[in-house]
Amino acid sequence: MTAPTTPLRVAVLSFAHVHAGSYIALLRDRPDVELLTADPDAATAPPDELRGRGFADLHGAPYVETYAEALEWGPDAVIVCAENARHRDVALAAAAAGAHVLCEKPLATRVEDAEAMLAACDAAGVLLMTAYPVRFSPEFATLRGLVESGALGTVLGATGTNNGKVPSGRAWFTDPELAGGGALADHVVHVADLLDALLGEEAVAVRAVTNRVLHGDDPRVRAETGGLVSITYAGGAEVTVDCSWSVPDGAATWGGLTLQVTGTGGTVEIDPFGAHVDGFVGGGAVPAWLGFGENLDALMLEHFLGCVRTGATPGPDGRAGLRTLRVVAAAQESVAAGGAVVRPAS
Amino acid sequence: MPALPALPAPPPLTVGLVGAGGMARAHAPAWRALGTELVVHSVDGAAELAAAHDGRVAASFDELLDVVDVVDVVTPTPTHLEVASAALAAGRHVLCEKPLGRTAADALALLEAARAADRQLYPGHVVRYFPEYALMRAAVHAGEIGTPAVLRFARGGAFPSWSPWFADDARSGGVVLDLMVHDLDVARWVAGEVTSVFATRRSLEEDGAPHTLAHVVLTHAGGAITHVRGLWGAPHTAFRTSFHVAGDAGVLRFDSATSGGVRSDLPPVPTGGLARPAPAAGESPYLTEIRELARAFAASPTALPADHPLRPRVSALDGVVAVELAEAALTSIDAGEPVAVDTAARVRELGGTPHPPPDTPALAAAGSPV
Repeated sequence: MTAPTTPLRVAVLSFAHVHAGSYIALLRDRPDVELLTADPDAATAPPDELRGRGFADLHGAPYVETYAEALEWGPDAVIVCAENARHRDVALAAAAAGAHVLCEKPLATRVEDAEAMLAACDAAGVLLMTAYPVRFSPEFATLRGLVESGALGTVLGATGTNNGKVPSGRAWFTDPELAGGGALADHVVHVADLLDALLGEEAVAVRAVTNRVLHGDDPRVRAETGGLVSITYAGGAEVTVDCSWSVPDGAATWGGLTLQVTGTGGTVEIDPFGAHVDGFVGGGAVPAWLGFGENLDALMLEHFLGCVRTGATPGPDGRAGLRTLRVVAAAQESVAAGGAVVRPAS
Repeated sequence: MPALPALPAPPPLTVGLVGAGGMARAHAPAWRALGTELVVHSVDGAAELAAAHDGRVAASFDELLDVVDVVDVVTPTPTHLEVASAALAAGRHVLCEKPLGRTAADALALLEAARAADRQLYPGHVVRYFPEYALMRAAVHAGEIGTPAVLRFARGGAFPSWSPWFADDARSGGVVLDLMVHDLDVARWVAGEVTSVFATRRSLEEDGAPHTLAHVVLTHAGGAITHVRGLWGAPHTAFRTSFHVAGDAGVLRFDSATSGGVRSDLPPVPTGGLARPAPAAGESPYLTEIRELARAFAASPTALPADHPLRPRVSALDGVVAVELAEAALTSIDAGEPVAVDTAARVRELGGTPHPPPDTPALAAAGSPV
């Protein structure tokens, strides 16, 4: 076990996910972290996307050309920011090198890939954490406290929304092969993870409908952009999630996440990205959104690094990532079956 | 929404309120504001209601039928069929509180009774008259948000414990038929005809208090999908409605909890209290509704032709389809599976014109279908 005074070696692997920049900025200046980055798949991205050494230079991060070099450096931990479909290979290589793994969400694009990642990390004795930053929001802590204290009574159900602009700046997000789907794959998992933590129960029935009305004429978008997912949990809670990319391009902020939970004690609704100052800027023509919520990425990284130092199991671990991926897979199966109810085997 | 033609005040009507409960108390002031003469018949509370609204009491339903032009049926849901069909058979126009019937068969029987009697029958789908919903619908149908894609509607409050029949699913149809029928109707009004209904519900009683939360997901013929949430919740729950309507060229949203020009800090609604949705702005939506219906009633002693300029924005056929959607939702809850419907075919079968999808250019030009 690394002593707290020894800096942890952390490698950010791939810049495919835009969060890579946020992680680098948070890790770069920490005295307790040594940072290295690699983005060997940069050449597979469209030429107008800043990737690879240019991205590392922009963010002031040390860079190597290959994952092999990054792993030979002997990192204590890696953060996997590859395209969703490439998480598995990167995570398996990291586990084989003995590095703990924080993996962007969704954990993988297929359940069997996530299972392989779990097995590899378990076999290597390294931690696997899924990057669900909303878990670390103070708003969610409040909600969780109200559920756990019994103030909300028996949970009847919930309505979750994770609406955002159609992802831009990284084309793979709207490529169903690399992303694992569209809005369903991108936006169901955050809400599903919060419910997973809140209820501690498996989803026993999932039903989803989707459409591609939003951005239907955008040639880059080849997957669903709108979706409603109905989830029944083992204890009987009935949930509906709106995962649509329904925030217009001109909106003042990217989108957000809300979770409204109703129990016999009443209803609590959280809006973890809602704290903001609004108004107009840019000569009065541009709607303003000055968000001042907690930096959830920072809270999440703090938790992960703490787990790496102590060996404690991280909050949203690989198993949480797998359970939520199973919900997405069931939703996709439901859509493929024309809206049939899918009952995932637990 | 197309403006109503400027008209002289409708000739005075005599209206018979059958029932003297919460809805009667909401309707009576609206009728009085229009100069209507009120006659009340109810097994309970008729004298108090009549006294409060300057009306008189009819000793029997038959006596009421003898003296009125219009019957306003504000009785518990399972009695709608009997009361409204008797009124129609007696040659009276009818405003029947929603849901039009306890079952789709009841609602359909009323539609047929109205046609047989050649009288006007409208369901009390008052949400179509709330300004926020009316404005949203008009904007959507004017193309302001492009093609509707994903819609969310929510409506909820304390479990209605002020009258025991609400808690009896056999009589009220529960939260799906009694409360969510509003948003099922509005969803169809906004996003067009429906092809699939899926619903889930959790009901439980804790410490003697019943609770029900239900979700309905609709798939529309034009491709849009809609989530409707309904809550009969804990006794302190404040009544709240909201919508979020996203299209490929914009989003419209409303939440009664954060809208309106009044902010108050008052004690919670007392347990068992009768909460009513406050209008977001302006006059009571019940008055807006009843004014539009009163003009239609006054325009003709018989049914109005489909192209009549005073046809209200809601029809008996809409009331039938709304109950059929609620019934499909209840079927889905029981079966745990989605239920295929075809409201467009159903509307045609019943002699109506289906709602075209809202991005149809012809529609934007023509205004709202009846």
